[in-house]
Amino acid sequence: MAYSLDDRRKKPTPKIGDLIKKGVVTEAMALDWLRTIHEIRFFEDKVYDLLGQNIIKGASHLYAGQEAVATGAVAAIEMGDVIGSTHRGHGHCGAMGNKYATDAEARQMHWNRMMAELMGKETGYCSGRGGSMHIADVKIGNLGSTGIVGGNIPAAVGAALAEKHKKTGKIAVSFFGDGSTNTGSFHESMNMASVLKVPLVAVIENNLYGMSVPFCASPVEGAGCASNIEHIAERATAYGVPAMIVDGQDVVAVFLAVKEAAAHARKNNEMVMVEAKTYRWYGHSRSDPRVYRTKEEEKEWRSRDPIIVLSDKLLEEGLATREQLAVIAQQAQDAIEKATQFGLDSAWPDVADLARDVYVTETYADNVVEAEKTAAANAMKATAAFEAAVDTITAKTKKEKVELAKAQVKEAFGMDVIAIKDAIIAAQAEEMRKDPSVIIEGEDVGLYGGAYSATKGLLEEFGADRVIDTAISEAAIVGAAVGAAIRGLRPIAELMYVDFITISMDQLMHNGAFNRYMFGGHAKVPMVIRTEGGVGRCIAAHHSKSLEPWLVNVPGLYVVMPSTPYDAKGLLKAAIRSDNPVVYIEHKATYGQMGAVPTEEYIIPLGVADVKRTGKDVTIVTYSRQVMFALAAAKELADKHGIDVEVVDLRTIKPLDIKTVADSVRKTGRLVTIAESFNMCGMGPEIVRRLIEYVYEDGRTGFDYLDAPPVNMAAADVPPPMSEPLENASIPMTDTIVARIRQMV
Amino acid sequence: MAREIKLPQMGQTMEEGTIVTCLVKVGDKVKKGDVIFEIETDKATLEMESPGEGFVKKMLVAVGDTVPVNTPILIIGDENEAIADGGSPAAAAAAPAVAKAASTPAPSTEAAKPAAAAGSVAAPAGARVVRLPQLGQTMEEGTIVTSLIKVGDTVAKGQVIFEVETDKATLEMESPGAGVVKAILVEAGETLPVNAPIAVFADEGTDIGQDFIDALRGGAVAAAPAAATPTAEQAPKASTPVPTAAAAVKDGRIFASPRAKTTAADMGIDLRQVHPAAGAVRITAADVQRAAASGAAREPAGPAPRYNLGDIVPVNRLQKIVAERMLKSKQEIPCFYLNIRTDMTEVFKLRTKLNKGDGVKLSFNDFIIRAVAIALKHYPIMTGQLDGNVIQLADQIDIGLAISTDDGLVAPLIKDAGSKTVRQIAEYGKALIERARTNKLTLDDLEGGCITVSNLGGFGIDAFIPIVVPGQCSILGVGRIADMCMPIDGNIMVRKIMNLNLSVDHKVANGADAAQFLDYIKKLLENPSTFEE
Ligand SMILES: Cc1ncc(C[n+]2csc(CCOP(=O)(O)OP(=O)(O)O)c2C)c(N)n1
Ligand SMILES: [Mg+2]
Repeated sequence: MAYSLDDRRKKPTPKIGDLIKKGVVTEAMALDWLRTIHEIRFFEDKVYDLLGQNIIKGASHLYAGQEAVATGAVAAIEMGDVIGSTHRGHGHCGAMGNKYATDAEARQMHWNRMMAELMGKETGYCSGRGGSMHIADVKIGNLGSTGIVGGNIPAAVGAALAEKHKKTGKIAVSFFGDGSTNTGSFHESMNMASVLKVPLVAVIENNLYGMSVPFCASPVEGAGCASNIEHIAERATAYGVPAMIVDGQDVVAVFLAVKEAAAHARKNNEMVMVEAKTYRWYGHSRSDPRVYRTKEEEKEWRSRDPIIVLSDKLLEEGLATREQLAVIAQQAQDAIEKATQFGLDSAWPDVADLARDVYVTETYADNVVEAEKTAAANAMKATAAFEAAVDTITAKTKKEKVELAKAQVKEAFGMDVIAIKDAIIAAQAEEMRKDPSVIIEGEDVGLYGGAYSATKGLLEEFGADRVIDTAISEAAIVGAAVGAAIRGLRPIAELMYVDFITISMDQLMHNGAFNRYMFGGHAKVPMVIRTEGGVGRCIAAHHSKSLEPWLVNVPGLYVVMPSTPYDAKGLLKAAIRSDNPVVYIEHKATYGQMGAVPTEEYIIPLGVADVKRTGKDVTIVTYSRQVMFALAAAKELADKHGIDVEVVDLRTIKPLDIKTVADSVRKTGRLVTIAESFNMCGMGPEIVRRLIEYVYEDGRTGFDYLDAPPVNMAAADVPPPMSEPLENASIPMTDTIVARIRQMV
Repeated sequence: MAREIKLPQMGQTMEEGTIVTCLVKVGDKVKKGDVIFEIETDKATLEMESPGEGFVKKMLVAVGDTVPVNTPILIIGDENEAIADGGSPAAAAAAPAVAKAASTPAPSTEAAKPAAAAGSVAAPAGARVVRLPQLGQTMEEGTIVTSLIKVGDTVAKGQVIFEVETDKATLEMESPGAGVVKAILVEAGETLPVNAPIAVFADEGTDIGQDFIDALRGGAVAAAPAAATPTAEQAPKASTPVPTAAAAVKDGRIFASPRAKTTAADMGIDLRQVHPAAGAVRITAADVQRAAASGAAREPAGPAPRYNLGDIVPVNRLQKIVAERMLKSKQEIPCFYLNIRTDMTEVFKLRTKLNKGDGVKLSFNDFIIRAVAIALKHYPIMTGQLDGNVIQLADQIDIGLAISTDDGLVAPLIKDAGSKTVRQIAEYGKALIERARTNKLTLDDLEGGCITVSNLGGFGIDAFIPIVVPGQCSILGVGRIADMCMPIDGNIMVRKIMNLNLSVDHKVANGADAAQFLDYIKKLLENPSTFEE
């Protein structure tokens, strides 16, 4: 089905009684909708009150006025379906909790936990880590609220993708406001959802304003506007999907529209857009004087209060008496009063738990770590033998030499010699064979095999359901990975260049890295973002940066940067298995770098550095391609200058294995860090800081063992230039490393 | 006109390509853009299009061939054009393209060439002038005591190259850099100002002109040729103030690396007595270790406490034995004590001379032990032990050497010291110390002995009274060697004076025996020529 627009406001909403007769709803359901709407309303009124008393602090985006949308939509979906919420999310969370409450006590507890969360108490849904703007009960399929307008739409697409992949028959519903429909996230997500054919219902809550700016024309003098069209649903034409417009004040209308949309999405794996016209009673937030809308407009909308609309229907159709309705309102009010008391009585979080749940705790047994050290050393030896063989073997072509040398290494060490590119392919293929929840998505990862050929052959083996080519939508690529990961997949998202991560940064940080913590440890995001960076191909500043310092600045992320085929394979496999979000950054100039890898399966523990050369005079700490430069420099320093350098390859730069660094510096007294990223607030300065603070078992610190000022070698503070000599001059190179260390010793 | 078609670089990392299929044959007409080959690169199998139009004249490759990028693979030309064998002349001249290996670092950039200093002889490229460092805060000049290198030697950074006598002490000068010795500009005994050139190093095979060396001798060389590598040549430029040891002390603050401070605390070294390497702005751990080795910088207030007041300090096995034996000595050995001052100036000279050659370096203690051994032969009573009614003399001269180890005090024996030369004593002693420090002493090393020599000169002690080891007749306490003014032949001379204290078991020897014995030791040390092998 292609684009179609069904403006349901033009037809009368069916009577509840008729729907009961048809078995579409029950009387109890209709009464419960009213109770839910009341509960949300009382909750919001109470929150407004508590904000005024400074008992609740922080954000205050209240849902009052829009209750019919969340209530109707959540009622219309199945148990097990997933929702994504917004900064104005109390209604979505409230309705979902009611849907899953099995008895009165559970329902009360649900409102208790919501109120406690807004108060920042330990008993809240997210233990006070998220509050109003990040409230969620992830366990029942709420992907959470977000502080970033439009920020949760990509995750909902990913969740829908996961349900489709797992064949659960479940769908995702993404709630978002009119204001968010002009963000890139919205556009990228809608397009991705329609192209990838995922079961998504996009519910646009058009309350006419994004903060103060009207979506389209306003009678208020001085008001701007966000769009040139009145109906957001018309945008569905751009994505070739069906759309509806519905009266958002009428819970019955919303229920029926979303029910139909959900059924369509579920059956056809096709996204449906539902635009609900609605209105918020309060200002955007507490401090909003609402100058952008007229009193007449407010009055008119208030006359269509969802409570009035539904109550009138129930009374008119004789489904309830005024007394019954009063009881429902009273029950709702009591529940919120009790919830308020619960919140007030609850304990604050223990500040000792400040850092709890930033990560899923992952540890590796000591023997695994030790065994890996041996394996790493063997791989180094075999690689050295390979390089020596290539240098000595005589053959007509390089290819022949390489083949002969490979055979020698296989014979002597029982190891294969492969390129980094092939190590990456192998790691992904092995994990995909083992675990059907591993999928790959990104630009050109399918037929083309990845811009740097790092997914070559995977489409052929695993098919287009698991190796998914996407449009050029970096935010949606990462955001969808987050949603899919929260919903049980282990997605690997490829970003062609780390430079493009700037476009995905919101998704990566706010959702990928923070969700677990913000949601009180109830979510995990086991995804891998594979990308590549660095200079070396003369492709200038938009394609050559090393942005890892940006990434290590994000709590919740792991960052891995391998330097050899052995490391590339073992680390990527560990990253895929990790329950934490990992950014895995390859180096564009090293895909062809050859090295030995074991034939048997192995992983490399994340967060464990590798001493790639031992020495006593100077410690170099580095990672990624600079490890190779450092090793070449160390060789020259030893051969020509009698300086004995130890080279520590961090491999994982977050978490950082500072112990290995500190143990080395304790021996040498001199520290040189080498990175290809910028120095300011970069990896080098960070390593120095951590070293200085490091406390040894004797109570001394890394500071006490320094015999010379530490040196940080890094990229020059310039946008990476294209011209080759400039490019080379912009980063540490073997000769500059040699020269710098000779000065130091 | 015939033209060659070369294998293009079909991707940035491609260095060579394999011909998978050839889609044309000689005589075919090809248009620009026609697919003419399938080429396998490091990344993929790609179609190669013809870059121009013409008739295929000659195939230069066969299917399966792997050839580097830019190799001519095909010749095309006009329909009737004849092509000579071997292709067009251009083919032979075609320079092979150098594919950029992005993963290999760029070649080293040449170090800056020396800039000639006007009005003086410029340093030849690669020449590194070694200058007399300031080996102490107050040092203005130094006397070369020994040169331990000769022209042609390959010297490592840190290797001791000269012994230099300063206003304070005789110190070992370490090489500031590595290289081959091209010239030595000083002779033993020469006194020079700080920063004077004393040697020239260069890399193996580098030629250093005689005029440069002569100029250096004559002082006509720019103080710091720009070519000199910073590691070997820290001498200041004429215009900048001389960075001296004083640079490490500024406004009363000592600048030392954290590691130097940690090391100094561990070794009980007073940082105020440690000097940085010439030109360095702070003291490093190596400076502290050097100072510790020279014994010059023991913290006067004693080492940093290993224990805190009120601690309970465990007593190890060794200390228990020391306690028992010393108590036994005090209870059973009635001692008298003798003191004598010895002029060590001659030993000093002899030692310097003997240490010039290869082999184990001789310490002052080795000479003293040798003297004691000779003296014991002359006064064998000093080897005796009272046994009931008789005194039993030793049948071999074994001399104990007091050594402080991590575990405590030990005094293993230099066996048969009576028949050993100074150098043999030095060798034996060195091995003994090594065994003591690594816990490898045997019972045989420890049992018996006629006398023990205990030297606390390294700790700055002038004189002390040691306790006789039970089973031995006496013990010699050796103090430090210090310059003192001595009246000699009516002149006041500065001489190197050392105190010897002898504690003697009065049950065995009387004052007269012991006094002669000690005086004999003194005489031997003051006329050490007898020691020369
Ligand atoms: C990316 C981003 N830009 C701006 C904001 C500030 N902000 C918060 S809510 C909001 C209005 C959003 O409008 P809409 O999507 O219509 O939702 P509504 O508030 O009307 O429910 C704005 C501008 C934000 N939180 N995130
Ligand atoms: Mg809005």
